[in-house]
Amino acid sequence: METLTYFLPQVWFGILALFLLLYVMLDGFDLGVGILSLTSSTEERRGILMTSLSNIWDANETWLVLMGGALFGAFPLAYATILSALYIPIFIMIFGFIFRGVAFEFREQARNKLIWNVSFGVGSFLATLGQGFALGGVLKGIKVDASGHFIGGHFDWLTWQTILVALTLIQGYVLIGSTYLIWKTEGELQNIHYATAKLSAVTTLVGAVIITIGTPIFSDFARERLFSKPLVYLFAVIPVLAVVLIWQLIRSLNNEAERTPFIWTILLFVLTFFGLGLVVFPYIIPTQITIYEAAADPSSLVFMLIFIGALIPVMLFYNIYQYFVFRGKVTNAHYGE
Amino acid sequence: MEFLSNTLVLSRMQFALTAIFHMLWPILTTGMGVYLVIVEGLWLKTRNPQYYYHARFWAKLYILNFGIGVASGIPMEFQFGTNWAPLSEAIGNFFGSIIGFEASMAFMLEAAFLGIMVFGWQRVNPYIHYMATILVAFGANLSSFWILVANSWLQNPTGVEFIEGEFVVKDYFQAIFNPYMPNSVLHMVFATWETTLFVIGGISAWYILKKRHEAFFGTSLKIALAAAIIIAPLQLYIGHLSGEQVYHYQPTKLAAMEAQWETIPAGVAADWSMLAIPNEKTQQNDWEVKFPNALGYILEFKKELSEPVQGLKEWPPENRPHLLGLIYYSFRIMIAIGFYFAGLMLVSVIQWLRGQFSPEKITQQPWLMWGWILAAPLGYIAVECGWTVRCVGRQPWTVYNYIRTEDAVSNLPPGDVLTTLTLFASVYAILLFAAFYFGSRIIRKGPDFDLPLPGMEEQPPLKTEPGEFMPDERPVEAQQ
Repeated sequence: METLTYFLPQVWFGILALFLLLYVMLDGFDLGVGILSLTSSTEERRGILMTSLSNIWDANETWLVLMGGALFGAFPLAYATILSALYIPIFIMIFGFIFRGVAFEFREQARNKLIWNVSFGVGSFLATLGQGFALGGVLKGIKVDASGHFIGGHFDWLTWQTILVALTLIQGYVLIGSTYLIWKTEGELQNIHYATAKLSAVTTLVGAVIITIGTPIFSDFARERLFSKPLVYLFAVIPVLAVVLIWQLIRSLNNEAERTPFIWTILLFVLTFFGLGLVVFPYIIPTQITIYEAAADPSSLVFMLIFIGALIPVMLFYNIYQYFVFRGKVTNAHYGE
Repeated sequence: MEFLSNTLVLSRMQFALTAIFHMLWPILTTGMGVYLVIVEGLWLKTRNPQYYYHARFWAKLYILNFGIGVASGIPMEFQFGTNWAPLSEAIGNFFGSIIGFEASMAFMLEAAFLGIMVFGWQRVNPYIHYMATILVAFGANLSSFWILVANSWLQNPTGVEFIEGEFVVKDYFQAIFNPYMPNSVLHMVFATWETTLFVIGGISAWYILKKRHEAFFGTSLKIALAAAIIIAPLQLYIGHLSGEQVYHYQPTKLAAMEAQWETIPAGVAADWSMLAIPNEKTQQNDWEVKFPNALGYILEFKKELSEPVQGLKEWPPENRPHLLGLIYYSFRIMIAIGFYFAGLMLVSVIQWLRGQFSPEKITQQPWLMWGWILAAPLGYIAVECGWTVRCVGRQPWTVYNYIRTEDAVSNLPPGDVLTTLTLFASVYAILLFAAFYFGSRIIRKGPDFDLPLPGMEEQPPLKTEPGEFMPDERPVEAQQ
């Protein structure tokens, strides 16, 4: 029984982290490309940007749907408390998704594309902004009563720290979106995104440094966690690795490499994510609710593990396959025809 | 305007609005997914390019639907947490896992293979493409299954124990295959198929009426009609079984559907109320048209009821559904549409058997074509009516007999919910308008017969006779 009550929530924490990481990487570049589309000067360019996403955007977004469903099933209390506490950021994200999701097909059909261009770019921006505030809001901590129900105010998620997290997330998505476009496009469009990648690499770095330094200063919990042994050794290694990765990223951008910038960015995302996970674990709502308190009944966790767990490799396989089918540069605004 | 400061009412309105709007889109993606499997299969089998152009033409409407379906589906999933946090916490053990299953088994499959289905014609060989089309349709229909499993469990929570305000699953098999589920799944899946058939048939009829590509759209009309021969009558029967279930498991809902105030004991024959004006204040119907002795036939195919039909007065007002008129008439509208479909199918089949569906004669029956055009939107109305009966009729319960809707709602500032509700109403109105606008443009433009046929580029263009075409039979790997 001991193993069940500890081991299963940990496994599910790991699975949810995997879904969230996949989501942040895949829809991260997706939303980043959307934000970058706001800077496109011509319809042709914007068309290429959207074409580079048209076959994958819904599958990328599905990782979030999957994360939401799995969170609902595995940690019902966390699902309920986090979503109701972050009502406004969640709906900013949802409306962002609606605006950008419908823009793909409507823009394709429309003669006057302006409204759908705005819908796509602004929608991507709003979705990212909502996610940034939600992430910041969770990391900052949510006010709950003894049984874990939200008792805070509806603007608790809005502080200068969460604004900083949201801005940094936007930069991060622009960075990964730029490196994706470097991989998928060529010529002038590629050159533009070497520039946006360099710029956003710097701004992401600035945001990340402020957050990294600021967190232990302003959060007692994070300070204790970061300097506790043996974690302190890990937390000492992470910034070193981050510096190495950023160095490699900038070098690859300067060498005008086509694929490695995306890969270095992905690794940076993985590293950041790993660091965040270490700070947060075993809490699912930091300093308030642990994964053990929020976990569903062991029978549910086992049942979900059998079905969803077994499907993870299958889902990964066919997602990779479909990236493989659409490999290569996007050169015009129409796929496949 | 007291409801503007009532979070419960606003959250209910938001859920109703987003659910009603979302429901419009998956109908076509599930039903038309199957239709696309059929026409693409016919193309691969016969290599008749007409079927290929069918697949391409209808897929355009399919994609238009899909984007809005995805965009409007996300609010559904997250709303359980945002607006119904206490409910989410109580039902997460079961309901949450099912939502997770839906995402991982069905939705991901659909989303991932949709890219290949829509954009992959020239990138994979026709058989891989066909597999993608099948998986997309399979994923969509599997979604219907899981969503109806989740909803049926709310209607009739089995396989669980309610401990300290939380449902703990004792038997997953019982919870998933609860007696309410199989019929609900069938009824919904058939509803999406039937609605799609009449949408496809209705659009085809419009072209035929306009004398545009009569032969081409005669084919799709005939495919739709052939499927309707089985589906339309069967759906009526499944609908009857669903009514029987309500009779057994949800007496409050049955009483509301029939606006029945007094209990009818077992063993007697009772009238069926055809039209009525229910009055909740006086607890009776102000006006009513009855069909004598019909209730027993409707519920059980025999004159005398074997179980009593409980009247609304059996329960105190706080334990009964309200909005009786809505429930009562939604139910009747749904049934009327079901019979209209079956009747239209019957008349069309007779005309078909009389040889009136040949390309020359089919344009000469404007009344029949109008019958089909009229049928195109009706399926949607029937589906929305059915869900209204199912969910408004379940009130005051969210989880039938366990959790009341008023206890299920998150404690949110009403202003926040009012803001999102207003935004949903305006955004969805725009989306509905845009979908109609672009949808009708796709229809007016018609099929594009200039699209290149996939998998044929390597054929010498002129020297081969059509009959000599040999499909590529090498293994899939060798073809690429």
